[in-house]
Amino acid sequence: MYQYDQYDQQIVEERARQFRGQVQRRIDGEVTENEFKPLRLQNGLYMQLHAYMFRIAIPYGVLSSKQVRKLAHLARSYDRGYGHITTRQNIQFNWPQLEAIPTMLDELASVQMHAIQTSGNCVRNITSDPFAGVAPDELEDPRPYCELLRQWSTFHPEFAFLPRKFKIAVTGTPSQDRAAIRFHDIGVRIVNNEAGERGFEVWAGGGMGRTPFIGQIVRPFVRYNDLLAFVESILRVYNRYGRRDNKFKARIKILVDELGIEEFRRRVEEDFARSTNPALQLERAEVDRVTASFRPPPYEPESSARGDAAALAERTSNDAAFARWRKTNVLSHKVPGYDIVVLSLKHPDIPPGDISDTQLDRVAELADRYSFGEVRTTHTQNMVLTDVRDADLCELYDKLVALDMATPTFRLLGDIIACPGLDYCALANARSIPLSLELAKRFENIDYQEDVGPCSIKISGCINACGHHHVGNIGILGINKNGEEVYQLMLGGHDSDSASIGKILGPALREDQVADAVEKVLSKYLDTRNGADETFLECYRRLGPDPFKEAAYGA
Amino acid sequence: MATPKGTHFVITANFIDSGAPAYRRSDGSWSTSLQEAHPAATEAERDEMLAAASKEESVIADPYPFAVRLEGSAIDPLTAREEIRAKGPTVPIRRPDAAA
Repeated sequence: MYQYDQYDQQIVEERARQFRGQVQRRIDGEVTENEFKPLRLQNGLYMQLHAYMFRIAIPYGVLSSKQVRKLAHLARSYDRGYGHITTRQNIQFNWPQLEAIPTMLDELASVQMHAIQTSGNCVRNITSDPFAGVAPDELEDPRPYCELLRQWSTFHPEFAFLPRKFKIAVTGTPSQDRAAIRFHDIGVRIVNNEAGERGFEVWAGGGMGRTPFIGQIVRPFVRYNDLLAFVESILRVYNRYGRRDNKFKARIKILVDELGIEEFRRRVEEDFARSTNPALQLERAEVDRVTASFRPPPYEPESSARGDAAALAERTSNDAAFARWRKTNVLSHKVPGYDIVVLSLKHPDIPPGDISDTQLDRVAELADRYSFGEVRTTHTQNMVLTDVRDADLCELYDKLVALDMATPTFRLLGDIIACPGLDYCALANARSIPLSLELAKRFENIDYQEDVGPCSIKISGCINACGHHHVGNIGILGINKNGEEVYQLMLGGHDSDSASIGKILGPALREDQVADAVEKVLSKYLDTRNGADETFLECYRRLGPDPFKEAAYGA
Repeated sequence: MATPKGTHFVITANFIDSGAPAYRRSDGSWSTSLQEAHPAATEAERDEMLAAASKEESVIADPYPFAVRLEGSAIDPLTAREEIRAKGPTVPIRRPDAAA
């Protein structure tokens, strides 16, 4: 993974030192909250319902075991023994004391981490495919480009005060988007053009929130050395023309919608044609330099990595729970004999994405022992070991079971994502975690989940959509109606290729009605699907909402 | 929306050291317990308390009033948001007491 150079290290250390002074001045009463707020937000520190919330950046979801151990230490020493993996591949602590934050930043800097640009109207953490670099369907590893974008966007003086926050995602797969690029302010996909040259398809104007939009292609092919200049032109057009008069209309998606993609594209191309900054031209040598940080680990020959294939087959045959986990949470790797293993942070008794200090420490150990010391976070609030030998699957599984991290539900009903909701968040209108736990319990039966097949449930506690409800096959949005928490059910959302935004099914439901309604919707699907191969989403798209509405509402 | 008859008001904020909810007592000090708050009976008293609270930024941040109902000696918030703020998350947390 990318290692800081002396300048990176100096920047994060100085930032921590600056914030220590700012915090002290706040504690001493020398600055008001209004003066302090923008300073703390620039360091990822929010004020939530019960406490401060500290959001730490995990660039494109990649962590070393050393960094994971540090997060465990921070959770244990400065918080309440756990962290929360977010839907942007970051981690949040929900209970830190203000005085502790500068020390936490010092500790983070010691392992090349920080909280810079995890809040505010700037370019936020760049996200990517959690299987980047190891997916068999990948054209090229997107992580070097994520890193180049991270370096370009960090402290970019022109884009520190954009109309609103700005999110970029990059994927290296031509056919299976696991980074939801169509729902980002800018989405980047590595492609080859007809001449076989490598470059990028660049999307813009996607997003969720109050007004969801699927992004549109700004240019189908941007040469690799023009990536930064082209992205900068998009940012410049947004910075100049994006609305600042209305917070709810300030995202780039509104600008793209109001201008129309043709006019938006024209303005971007006009700016790009004028772009003359040589520093933005990506030279092959620079790409190669950064790419060298993401060299594949020293994989063993296939015969060695596979180990005792007969023993693995026997365990798979004789241990149904292991077989299930292998089927759902173990995925194909580009190197024969190796596997991608999803560590589930979903458990019917634990809020989605929460991970304890002990689990973090154990995950670091597992990464060192089985996966070259690297861990990934996913936007679906799980973790991943990307390079596990076949030979180690049985042993790893047993250890994950002991950690409650082997729930075999990846991409199934139990793999619910939910925002913190009104239990923590100052913006929320309704709670989302209790509903996620109730649904996880209701559909805990793995046989049932396997029968239903791939089906995502995503829950947000307010219109800001941190729980990505717009793109859940089953989406749930908590709203406040005359002081009561109620929930809108929506169906048909999808965040990958053939992206779609879910549609509201009917009137909002009370909390105690939601699980029944979801179960009725699923029963309708099971009764009407064209065989077990037709997924919930395919069935919904074929039938439309009416039969599901009738099932859920009995009308 | 009209304020229901009998509604009182509590001034709340967040302590700057912990971010914890803070409730203004009758003597002007701040408590972490809603039940120790002073319920203002009138909008005039509420506004007076809020104005005073706004000058205490060395202890608390972002003061605002919210409506409550008095049930005997108990103070009940009228919204789920303030009830959750006062009682804590309704879902399991790993170590409820930071000192534990």
